[in-house]
Amino acid sequence: MLFFILTTIGKILTKDEERDRELMARIKTRDTSALSELYDNYNRLLFGLILSILTKREEAEDLLQEVFIKIWQNAEKFDLERGTVYTWVVTLTRNRSIDRLRSRIYKEQKKQSTSLDDEDVFHPLYSEESDPLENTILKERAKKVHQALDQISEKQKKVLQVAYFSGMSQSEISEEFDIPLGTVKTRMRDGMIKLRELLARDIEL
Amino acid sequence: MSNQNNTFTELCAGYVLNALNESEEREFQQLLAQADEEQLLLYHELKAAASEIATLQPGVPPSPSVKKKIMEVAEASSKTKSENAAIHKMNWYRLAVAASVLFIFTSIGLVIYSSNLWEEVQSKEAMISQQQTTIERLESEVQRKEELLTILEARDVDLVMMDGLADLSPNGYGKVVWDKESGNALLQVANIPSVPIGKDYQLWFIVNGQPISAGVFAVDDPGRDNFFKIEQLQSSATDGAFAITMEPKGGMPEPTGDMYLLGNM
Repeated sequence: MLFFILTTIGKILTKDEERDRELMARIKTRDTSALSELYDNYNRLLFGLILSILTKREEAEDLLQEVFIKIWQNAEKFDLERGTVYTWVVTLTRNRSIDRLRSRIYKEQKKQSTSLDDEDVFHPLYSEESDPLENTILKERAKKVHQALDQISEKQKKVLQVAYFSGMSQSEISEEFDIPLGTVKTRMRDGMIKLRELLARDIEL
Repeated sequence: MSNQNNTFTELCAGYVLNALNESEEREFQQLLAQADEEQLLLYHELKAAASEIATLQPGVPPSPSVKKKIMEVAEASSKTKSENAAIHKMNWYRLAVAASVLFIFTSIGLVIYSSNLWEEVQSKEAMISQQQTTIERLESEVQRKEELLTILEARDVDLVMMDGLADLSPNGYGKVVWDKESGNALLQVANIPSVPIGKDYQLWFIVNGQPISAGVFAVDDPGRDNFFKIEQLQSSATDGAFAITMEPKGGMPEPTGDMYLLGNM
């Protein structure tokens, strides 16, 4: 198993990942300048992700702070054999965003202050006019994801985007968009498998 | 693809997007715990693919205060850690000093103890040596007494009493118990002066006016009776006398010094 993962990781070990691994190694030695650098590299990507899920700027900034403090405190837990720094940081950020979203308190707040219409959920996506990401490598990465998603059916793409950026469960998507639950599951599975195949050609997974 | 793999793949896709309900999430976690290498690889790749979707949203800059707060927390914890490390190091330093002091005192204690022990051993050795000397002296004394007793046990002995001479040993006392058969005799003397350095008393057996040396001896304690064994005093004479003179150390062929005791057979 380890061999396969290492093979996959080693397949396209980008300069971006090499830089991130060096930063993580320095963070493990309690080098605060490395944390500062990692923040500079990822803050806009991660804040945009959190904001797309939580929608509230104040709440999103609070969570972004929590995420980086978690990275600082849990750097020892980052395992090179289990994937890239990018995946670890983004997954950590999204998981905590989803947790925050689903907490009862936040849900109650959200019911009172926001709506869940399609425009609100999707507005950050595919916006060609949006701010560029932190660095050219991330922009290049985004371009490849765009290209990959263009090869996936619209229905599958929509399920993936809604799930990813709104934090909605399959049941919630089924209910919200009036799609049978089984169909949501199938689209999500097929879309993810296709995305994985397409990205594996160009991006380090 | 088997049903089990289908289930794994479907649940895995939902899991990496956090889109499963609670029971499905538990079910997938159980499957993941028993997953084979291929399934684990699928899980890691789907997770990585999902994380790529994040790049689809535009980067939004957070307030500068966010970074400031993060760095404050990180620097505070880093400082605390290094302070703890310093305290830790200081504790080690103190421990090392304490161990060194303990070692020094223990070493000094051991040196003193071993010195005392050495002195005690020396003292015991001296005592043993002294006791050994005493034992040897007593054994020698016992042996001499036994020899003297042997003379006294003989049934046919001559007894010759000697008296002190008025000038040099007025209270002098002497006695010879002579076993002619074995040629051994017992000499008992008392109240004659101690011999000075370089001098000895010499016992003479005088027969027909001729003195025959019967041996030399020294007296260092005039107050008590002193016993000596005389060997090889062979004579069949029934008449004669015993006399004791003071001679140069080792004795002389003939009497040269003053006479202290004299007695006839």
